[in-house]
Amino acid sequence: MVAGAAVVALGVLLLLDAGGTLDLHFGVLGPVVCAALGAILLASGLSRPR
Amino acid sequence: MTSPRGHSQWEKPLHRGNLSGVNETTTQQIPPQEPRRLVRVKEGRVLGGVAAGLGRYFNLDPIIFRIGAIVLVLVGGAGLIAYLAAWLLIPDEDAPGEPAAGRNRWLVIAGVVLLLCVSWPFLLGGGLLVAGLVIPLAVLVVAGVLVWWFVSGEGPAGNAGEVARRAALGLLILFVCGLIAIGGAWAAAAGGETVVAIIVIVAGAAILAGAFIRPVRWLILPAVALALAAGTVSAAGLDLHGGVGDRDYRPATAAELDDEFQLGVGQLVVDLRQTDLPRGDVPLKVRLGIGETRVLVPRNVCVATDAQVGIGEVRTFDRHSGGLDVDVQDRPDAPPARTRLLLDANVGIGALRIGHSNADLDYAGANFDFGPHPPGLVEQNSGCVA
Repeated sequence: MVAGAAVVALGVLLLLDAGGTLDLHFGVLGPVVCAALGAILLASGLSRPR
Repeated sequence: MTSPRGHSQWEKPLHRGNLSGVNETTTQQIPPQEPRRLVRVKEGRVLGGVAAGLGRYFNLDPIIFRIGAIVLVLVGGAGLIAYLAAWLLIPDEDAPGEPAAGRNRWLVIAGVVLLLCVSWPFLLGGGLLVAGLVIPLAVLVVAGVLVWWFVSGEGPAGNAGEVARRAALGLLILFVCGLIAIGGAWAAAAGGETVVAIIVIVAGAAILAGAFIRPVRWLILPAVALALAAGTVSAAGLDLHGGVGDRDYRPATAAELDDEFQLGVGQLVVDLRQTDLPRGDVPLKVRLGIGETRVLVPRNVCVATDAQVGIGEVRTFDRHSGGLDVDVQDRPDAPPARTRLLLDANVGIGALRIGHSNADLDYAGANFDFGPHPPGLVEQNSGCVA
């Protein structure tokens, strides 16, 4: 679920940039991608059966 | 007689053991096992019996050790050194089981040390070469296993065959994700960023819905790869409109500067040295996706720069700036009766260079040279100096 939300968030970011609402640059993209990947990995690790 | 492990060392005790008086049809004594010794065997030896001895000791086919030695001989010559050292260190099959003592032992140690002193350059070169092959291979295997672990939940436990299978499947997934990323980047750079964004959102929604219906973990990596590629293209401001190749524009009058100079991939040169430029402000707009943009101006023209480069560098006479999100704003005033070129430049990935001649811009010999100008070659925005 977290992975899905993170991917949707990335897609919305791209859509906002394509529409001109947001000016995406590496200073924004870097932290956002790190946060998204971190959330996905964290959720994946926590949900894995021990 | 064939031993249970199919090896001659297990047969010897049966021949040596005293079986007199024992009825072979009823009972058979299990002979006491001799401790395994690493020796250079006579049977099946090709040279010194090292490979055959290792094969017997590890219960493997000696051909494995022979192939390994030959490979190491070809890769820097380490195999030859290792073979000679093993020949010196491993006793012959007929030799007594005790380790070499006294003068013989010191002779062997001295021989090995001498061998290492003579051969260390070969060992080092071979080692580096082997490391250059083995380390990338190991990184690939680990990456493949981790990817497969993430996608399927199957951890790295298991025998070598299973680990190899998982690594191969993981690398296959990585390869497919790479193709998806390239396709997504191309589509976004060609103007389809909205479509890519919608695909990413739909994929995310499917993953989200899958959490409640049926998990689709395999979709996460491709969706993230697509989003990353499109995001990188957007952040770099990459635009592939304008075609591919080299373009060299030499406008004759300022009226020809009204249009935007645009190129997708390649080298874009706008040479204004022979252009009839009026006094006052003259706008110039250049757009490049990937490559190098050169703007050449006469020495009496002042250049005001407003440039963005996603990944790369900007060089304006004696100033340079490089890296990610390079943004250069330089608006000097021009003296009266001079031309001021208002340059609006955008480069996705590559370099923007502004100067008075190609020779001035060619000093580095390569793009993406983020270093300062070499001593003695300091250009100035001389048109801005009264």
